[in-house]
Amino acid sequence: MTTVRERPGETGRRPLLVSKAWIQAVALVMLFGFAVMGLLAYRTYTAEPPIPDRVVTTDGRVLYTGADVSRGQQVFLHNGLMEYGSIFGHGAYLGPDFTDDYLHRSAESVTRQLGGAGSDAVAQRVIHDFRENQYNEATGTLTVTREQAVAFDENVAYYGQFFGANDTSKGLRPEAITDPTEIRQLTAFFSWTAWAASTDRPGKDYSYTNNWPPEPLVGNKPTANVVVWSVLSLVALLAGIGALFAVFGRWGDRLGWRGRQADTLSFRGPDAVTLTPAQRATAWFFLVVGLLFLVQTLLGAASEHYRADVTSFFGFDLARLLPYNLVRTWHLQLALFWVSAAFLAAGIFLAPIIAGREPRRQNVLAYILLGAVAVVVFGSLIGEGLSIHGVFSRPGSFFQSQGFEYLDLARAWQVLLTLGLFIWAAILFRGLRVRLARDHMGNMPWLFFLAALAIPAFYAVGLLVDNSDNFTHADFWRFWVVHLWVEDFLELFTTVMVAYIFVMLGVIRERVAMTVIYLDVLLYSAGGVIGTMHHLYFSGEPAEHMALGAFFSAAEVIPLTFLTVEAWSFLQLGSRQEGKSATPFPHRWAVMFLVAVGFWNFVGAGIFGFLINLPIVSYYEIGTALTANHGHAAMMGVYGMLAMGLALFCLRYLIPERHWPERLAKISFWSANLGLLWMCFATLLPVGILQLYESVDSGYHAARTLEYVTNPTNSVFEWLRLPGDVVFIVGGALPFLWICWLGVRHSVRRRLPTTLEEPEDMLFTDITVPAEDGRQREASGASATTSTRE
Amino acid sequence: MTAVDPVVVLVLGYAGLILAVAGGLERLARHAAARSDRYRTAGFTYQPEHDLWVCPRNEQLWPHEVDRDRRLVRYRARPAVCNACPAKTDCTGSHDGREIVRPVDRWPHSEAGRFHRAVSVTLTAIAAAFIATAAVAYHRPPELAALVPAGALTGWLLWRWARDFWRTPSGFPDVQTVRGRTSGDPLPGPAAARGGAGPVLVDLVPPSRQRAGTVWGFDRHSSAHRYRSAREAASDDIGEDPA
Repeated sequence: MTTVRERPGETGRRPLLVSKAWIQAVALVMLFGFAVMGLLAYRTYTAEPPIPDRVVTTDGRVLYTGADVSRGQQVFLHNGLMEYGSIFGHGAYLGPDFTDDYLHRSAESVTRQLGGAGSDAVAQRVIHDFRENQYNEATGTLTVTREQAVAFDENVAYYGQFFGANDTSKGLRPEAITDPTEIRQLTAFFSWTAWAASTDRPGKDYSYTNNWPPEPLVGNKPTANVVVWSVLSLVALLAGIGALFAVFGRWGDRLGWRGRQADTLSFRGPDAVTLTPAQRATAWFFLVVGLLFLVQTLLGAASEHYRADVTSFFGFDLARLLPYNLVRTWHLQLALFWVSAAFLAAGIFLAPIIAGREPRRQNVLAYILLGAVAVVVFGSLIGEGLSIHGVFSRPGSFFQSQGFEYLDLARAWQVLLTLGLFIWAAILFRGLRVRLARDHMGNMPWLFFLAALAIPAFYAVGLLVDNSDNFTHADFWRFWVVHLWVEDFLELFTTVMVAYIFVMLGVIRERVAMTVIYLDVLLYSAGGVIGTMHHLYFSGEPAEHMALGAFFSAAEVIPLTFLTVEAWSFLQLGSRQEGKSATPFPHRWAVMFLVAVGFWNFVGAGIFGFLINLPIVSYYEIGTALTANHGHAAMMGVYGMLAMGLALFCLRYLIPERHWPERLAKISFWSANLGLLWMCFATLLPVGILQLYESVDSGYHAARTLEYVTNPTNSVFEWLRLPGDVVFIVGGALPFLWICWLGVRHSVRRRLPTTLEEPEDMLFTDITVPAEDGRQREASGASATTSTRE
Repeated sequence: MTAVDPVVVLVLGYAGLILAVAGGLERLARHAAARSDRYRTAGFTYQPEHDLWVCPRNEQLWPHEVDRDRRLVRYRARPAVCNACPAKTDCTGSHDGREIVRPVDRWPHSEAGRFHRAVSVTLTAIAAAFIATAAVAYHRPPELAALVPAGALTGWLLWRWARDFWRTPSGFPDVQTVRGRTSGDPLPGPAAARGGAGPVLVDLVPPSRQRAGTVWGFDRHSSAHRYRSAREAASDDIGEDPA
């Protein structure tokens, strides 16, 4: 009875459901993107600011050595200072940017020594002294003027007092760093970054960091590249959006996925779906997810409190126990952990539905994975706490946290986490194997597996980051994780998962889902891969990184605008229940979370992201609250909401119907979204705009001082955030945790029926067409195995 | 005469910006919802004057039934024509003729619409909170002269949008399996429209009695339906403000 389209190929595999051109296009785009990335990696190593072997004064005294710089960087990272202030603009926003801070102090000091401000000749002399490149490549020696050497010693004293102070007025723990050698090394590191930020590249008239930070004392102003590429990328964006909308407006409806009548389905009630042992095991994952989410929001509230009132937490000196940098480290690490844990669990939950059966003891593997994840999560968090409190102070210790923002965890945990992710991919492969063997490598089961495999593969790139390396190339690889892994490959995996869920629920057909996935991969990767460089405008990379980064990340906004409007409506599809199902649609709040994802993707990633993407904006903005605004709206708005939606989808089947807390799910949905909205629009956005204004008006240094950040106006804004945060935590995170707990309670309380064989129509029965219509069967997702079994 | 403090101007500017953002998002969300419709109806054109759809192959789809639970009107083509149509496989799997649905209520008629309306409400609330905070800190006469009208406008907007939000049914079939469906209030009015669980009044009204939208905001245009939503019917019968 098989139709022509249904006939298995010679290999016994189901043929590709969409045109081969999609695969070729994706391959081309990926090949191009990563070829350029390879080139940029090479340029990073050849054009990064050199670390001199020794820095000497004009009279021959050695000020510090290359080893000091490297060691100072480790001191900086191990003490969690990148989660307090920033370096080259990268890091946290409470403390100063130490590159800029050192440069500003040093330039002021030199000006003072030369006879004070007000004199034009002195100002010119200072600019000349700072800009001229006195690094001798042959001898590895950097020569600084006598005044700069004095300024260095002054700064050593200043930072000694800054980090050694026995109080918590800056949000750091008391006596954070007291060892004089470490202070000197730390200052050497700051000094080297400031040198790179102000000294002209050989043969160029701008500094290694494209003249960042804006500092009039040393003549740092936006370079021609900064301005030109901002304009060009803006033009590219507008032209691209226009062209894309024109093309899709004209031909979009003919893509072949439109206009088909929704199938009439009968959804299986959650009680009618028998789960496999591994699916039951995911209940524990979700409990961990809910717990980590709650802790993460509480830590977020604490770190927010530091901005509102840095010295006291409602009368309690929090910084002695949980200094700002520790709170923020945990806040960021947990953001990655709980979201990833939810994705891991959802992957394990979906695999048996895709494969139609589950190998024996898959649940044991899932529990082992959960154990490993828990060990890594809690181990690394405790390690970071100990590290920031100064326990692991031996350099290069395997358990000392690395301290890079987002890659804070110690090397040991990082290796374990990478292994855990690979194990997860292996578990998925084991579960999907039978299905993969029967399907073309471009079809959905393979897309699902390959997208999953990309997650450990790109997280592993983070292992290239070593905290004693030159900061510029360490940062280059770091953003492979922060941008490529988080923003591209997690995005890819979630697209595949959401599309698959829609197929499983009968919202769309497999062919349509695949078209959407391929289009998504194509458009995101075209800009997103090279767009990674938009993080690296000012961290010591040559100008081409900025040019390509600006151009392609503007191009990234084109699909983001288009696709999010498109995906926005795509995600709204699930919330439309128009068919005459005899049974109610069980996933009301799961699909509502997807609707929210569509919204936040547009607002948080698209609008707020582009707001800070142009080099000229980033030049003044990097490291201010507008970045936090984008971060919160995109990370929580897109990935957080997605993780919550996926969790609710799975928990709906894990919790017996009569115990399902529909009301709590509703409260959680509304509170999480409205709380986040409040957070962004009541505080982060206005504070960010004010800080950007201050940065352009009074200078970047002024805008990043603790005095400015905690001034009364900002304080009012920060307090205004309180209602939103309370709604978010009490109404969003707490009920969510309770729902997760219900999943565990009802999954393990008694012996529940489990199965290793899933029925073909696991989540719904198609009642549009009689079962012998082969065409229909082929397209309806979970039931796609019929034809090949014959 | 003292001048207005610049902070007040900034706050007012920001409040205006947020309101503009709310309006813009509302528009975009409605656009996205319309595109979402096109997933099902691309190639088909609706002819409001005859209340029918025309398919790409020029077959007409006539009103077939009114689905009161889901607040939809269903249109259907003749089965004999569809079953013989060469394009059928890309069009429908049904043997009973192609069907198209059309929601009775205007935007935000869906759950997704309610979400975006709630976004507008929250943004307006933020604008109101900003103006209120500014009024607490700066309350000399010229400043109040600027803040009070702005605050009143924002508050009024907030009230209208919030009221509209509460009254708009989600259109989502209720899945409260634990407590079961509430039996519902047999009377038309806001109580019935609120939860989405009560009986939904969808009545066929001659085009002559069509009313333009009564809700302030971005949906102030005629719905071009012959069907009135429960809210419209209720406000006709009970008056402008049944609450």
